[in-house]
Order: sequence, then structure tokens, then C-alpha cells
Amino acid sequence: MRFLPLVENEVLKLWKRRRFRLVLAILVALIGIIVFAQVEGRRRFHTKDWRIDTQEQVARMRNWMRQGRLPDTQRRWVQFEIARLQYHLDRNINPEDTSGPLFARGFASASSYLLLPLLAIVFAADIVSSEFSEGTVKLLLTRPIGRRRVLASKLVALLLAVGLTVLVGGVVAYLFGGLAYGYRGWGMPFLTGFRMTPGEALDSSAVRAIPLWQDAVLSFGLAWFAAAAVAVIGFMTSVLLRSTAASMGTMFAALILGTILPRVASTWEFQKYLFVTNLPLPDYATGTPPPIPGMTVPFSVAVLAVWAAGALAVSFEVFARRDVLA
Amino acid sequence: MGESVLAAEHLTKRFGDRVAVSDVSFEVPAGEVFGFLGPNGAGKTTTIRMLVGLARPDRGRVRIRGLDVATDFARAMGHVGCIVESPDLYPYLTGRENLLHFARMLPDGAAARIPELAALVALDGRLDERVATYSLGMRQRLGIAQALLGAPDVLILDEPANGLDPAGIREIRRLVRALAEERGISVFVSSHLLSEVEQMCDRVAIIHRGETLATGPVEELVARAASGHRFLARPGPRAEEILERVFPGRVEKEGPEAFLVGAAGAEIPAAVRALVEAGVEVAAVERRAPTLEDVFLEVTGGETV
Repeated sequence: MRFLPLVENEVLKLWKRRRFRLVLAILVALIGIIVFAQVEGRRRFHTKDWRIDTQEQVARMRNWMRQGRLPDTQRRWVQFEIARLQYHLDRNINPEDTSGPLFARGFASASSYLLLPLLAIVFAADIVSSEFSEGTVKLLLTRPIGRRRVLASKLVALLLAVGLTVLVGGVVAYLFGGLAYGYRGWGMPFLTGFRMTPGEALDSSAVRAIPLWQDAVLSFGLAWFAAAAVAVIGFMTSVLLRSTAASMGTMFAALILGTILPRVASTWEFQKYLFVTNLPLPDYATGTPPPIPGMTVPFSVAVLAVWAAGALAVSFEVFARRDVLA
Repeated sequence: MGESVLAAEHLTKRFGDRVAVSDVSFEVPAGEVFGFLGPNGAGKTTTIRMLVGLARPDRGRVRIRGLDVATDFARAMGHVGCIVESPDLYPYLTGRENLLHFARMLPDGAAARIPELAALVALDGRLDERVATYSLGMRQRLGIAQALLGAPDVLILDEPANGLDPAGIREIRRLVRALAEERGISVFVSSHLLSEVEQMCDRVAIIHRGETLATGPVEELVARAASGHRFLARPGPRAEEILERVFPGRVEKEGPEAFLVGAAGAEIPAAVRALVEAGVEVAAVERRAPTLEDVFLEVTGGETV
């Protein structure tokens, strides 16, 4: 029995269930609002020369540091921001300079820890459980095809859907960003490689400029990887819980935990082994401080890969063995 | 029976402490319509789930054309079409899309059967409408078309008459008989209605509390059940008194002027004479067809559903 027709079935069901259309609509609406708000904001606050703006920003942040009332994680981030802006000032590069491509690249890091995983869960949460709630699993699993193959076809369809979502997100961000800031600039140099030394100073020795498109490809690749890992974990909850609502609820709670935990308990080191903490990958690929010191891109990729592999093993074992009583 | 297409051997299934199915065995030869009769909760659906590999038996095995479902699942299922519990298909797809979906899960050529099968189940006119708009009877027929896509040797239908109107039930009955007689398909049908099984099946197994109580040709089981007669007579109290005298302990009051009497035809004329002589007006005496409950009374020796 060929495998491709099974994938075709699953993609067809995702499409007919209007999941793709829902996700597309969410992306367009969200990115549209963000671009609009940004344009409005810039018009109001960036009226002067960018050098003066940036210098004021640096001075303001220095002030915060002196008052010393910032929590640990924010101290690290503010310190990094000061150094980064200073670096730009020293070399006469406008850090706020933006373009459609730059906006699209920014979308990758802004969406990889919450928006893209969330949309991935929209697909993942019901790709298995809906067959149970609709009763169709009884037909799906009494056809002359082993259960593992059926599940594998669903997994492939899910990963395709997540890939398409990230791609569409990037394209929509570029189109809308371009509308506001211009469509050119994929070749512009992008500064990357900022690092914090253990003494919390900025180490700019590794800073280099790469063409923006290279960094964008890397960022979107990492964002896809993070979203795919979340999708696979959501796939497991869909298999285990057999209920779309329960599976979505569990995964949303996990994602929200991931956004709260580094802020309220940044000293609890163990959280760097949780999958949710590792999602902002594209963010610290360029050198912004990671949620927990010591986390690097290879480390996070490894953590996510281990989680995904575990989730897959559990999904396939449980799905292949468990009695279907739906 | 070397030629049995579907064989259950000592199937047993427990859920915790509860034994849902206990040591159930039967064989269905080619071209036979086999009824699986029992009240709701008797273990019919659990047995079917084991037949089609959805649930794993704790003991025993299922063979389809000699292939063990537990170890040779994909090949065994190639010979089966089924509806388990209810004809659930994708409501957001059309009838045709549903059939195409399941045709893609079968060897090449299944999709080519769609027009013929749609005509067979009389759905060809509505095939391009979404299943969400179908009536239960249409879903049942679409479910049967789906089950027949792979040109199976055995068709397994779980309560196919559930929720259908009398015309729909007749339609299904006709279809099942035709599939068995004209195409030689073995059909396994579960039901909780004796009348339905009586009209559709060649042989029947009776299941009760997870155990098969009797297996045999339908007429044989029906004949074993005690027959009864219903008397409509007035005045009621007087009629009851007379009937009680003629059939001591065998009269059951159904209404003020209606009585069920557990007696065979030979005893009836004498009872009618006694009633008339006592001045009771006899409006009607009718033979009551045995129900599942009567068959149970017979095969369990007194235990009711």
C-alpha cells in the first residue's frame, strides 16, 4: 500500500475542516495590526534625528540600571540593549532602521515562542482526537493498513501544515512590512554574534555582518523547528487525551508557562530542559541573552529534538497498542 | 467447516473486573447471513471491536479467511468491510469525498467502484452533498457503500436497523440478502430485535451478559420459544377469573380488558368456549409472535433480559 494517498487524505481533511483558512486569517489579521500599530507609534515618537533618539534611549536605560530595581532577567536584557545600541551609535548605524525584510525577520523571532507554536497546536490538537470524537477512527483503523502507517500519514500532514504556516507567516510579514517600510533590503548587512561575557559585559569580538536574507533563512528555519517540536508534542497529547479541547488546553497552558517562568523564576536553572523555555530560538541566535544564561542555539535544538523524539515514541506506541473504544 | 470466512475462537474481553465478553466462538461460512442477537449491553459491540481489530481480545482469536487478525492485521482487513456501532463518516466531506477518502486506503481500483456502489445503496442522487445534511438512513447506506468499497468477503454490520424507519429497515434487509445471495458475501449482523434477525439471517447466535447461549438456524430458535396468545375480552374482571381457571398461573394482565396467556394454539378453542359460556364478550384472540425475551426465557430456562 502506497503512503502518499494516506497523506493526501490527511491534508484534505485539514483543508476541508478549514484549519488552514483559519490560521491564514489569524496571521493576516495579527500581522496587519502589528504593522499598523508600529507605523503609528513611530510617527509619534521618532520625530527627531535617530542619533538623538538612540542616545536618549541609552541614557534612560542607564538610569534604570543605576536605580537598581530591575529584576535579574531584565537587568541582563537592559544591559545588553545598552551595549547593542552603543555599538550601533559608535558605527553610525541606525538600530531602528527598518524595512520589509527586516520586519519579516523580526516576525520570526517575535512569533517563535508563542504565535507559531499556538497555530501549530490548532492543527496538532485535533488531528488525532477529532477522529475519536467523530467516531471515524473506527473506519480509519479497520482498513487494510497498519495503525503506525495511519499515524505516520497524520504526522507528515501535520509537519507540512506547520511548515506552510511558518512560510505563510513570513510571506505575509514581508508583504505587510514592505507596504509600510519598503520591499527592498534583503542584502543589507545584519549584525549578529553579540555575546555576553560571564562578567555581564557585551563581548562584541564575534560580531559580524551577514546579509539579512541569510539571517532570515536561519531565523525562519529555527522558528519552524520550534513550532514543529511543539506540534509533535501536541500530537502526543492529542493521541493520549483523545479530546481536542483537553489537548489544546494542556498545550496552551504549557506555552503560557513558558512565557511566565523565565520572568518569575529566572534562577531556577532546571527550566532550561523544559521545551517551552527553548522556543525563542531565533531570538538568541543573533546574540540576545537567552532566557536562562548558558542556553545556546545548539543546546535548545537538542532539547527540543529530545522532547519531540520522546513524544513521537509515546504517540506511536500508545496509538498502535491501545484498544479503540470510541 | 473448512470454508468459514469469519471465525471467532474463544473470544474473551475484560474491562477491569467486569467480563464484557466471555468465551465467544462462532463460524460464518461464505454467503451466509449470521445474526448476533442480544440485548443492549450484552457484549455485541465489544465482540465486533475484536472481530475488526479495534480491541485486543484477552483470550482467543479472530480469523478472517484463515488470517489471524492479531498477527496479520492488514491482510485480514483486506477481506472485511464494517460498520462499528454507528455509521460515522466525515460530516464536513461530501458522500463522494468520503468514499474517495476510504478508496485511497485500499488497493487501486476501489475508486472505480464508487458509481456502482452509490447506485446499489440508492445514494447516487445525493453523493455530492455534505454528509452533515444526510439523514441517519442515508448515512447508514453510505456506511454500507464504504464497507463494500474493497469488494470484501465479509461484511460486519452493527445494529444496521438502528434509528431507521420501517421502509429503511426493509431496504437494508433487502440489500443484505442480495449481497449474500447474489455476491456470496458473508454478512455478520448484530441486533437486539428478534424480528429483524428472523427476517434477515440464516443462522443466529444469542449473546447474553457476554456469553453465547445458543447458536443455530433462526427458525429452530424461534420454534423453541414459548408461544402465547392475547385475549381481548370484557368485562375484564370476569374474563380474568375464567382465564385463570382454564390456565392456572399462566395469565398475565396487560390492560383492563387485555390478557396474555402462555398457551399454545391447541388449548385456545376450549378457553374461548368457556369465556363465551360465562357471558364474556371475546373481541379478539391473537397469536403473539415470540420476542427476544421469550427466546431468552427458553434458552436461559427462566432468566429474563
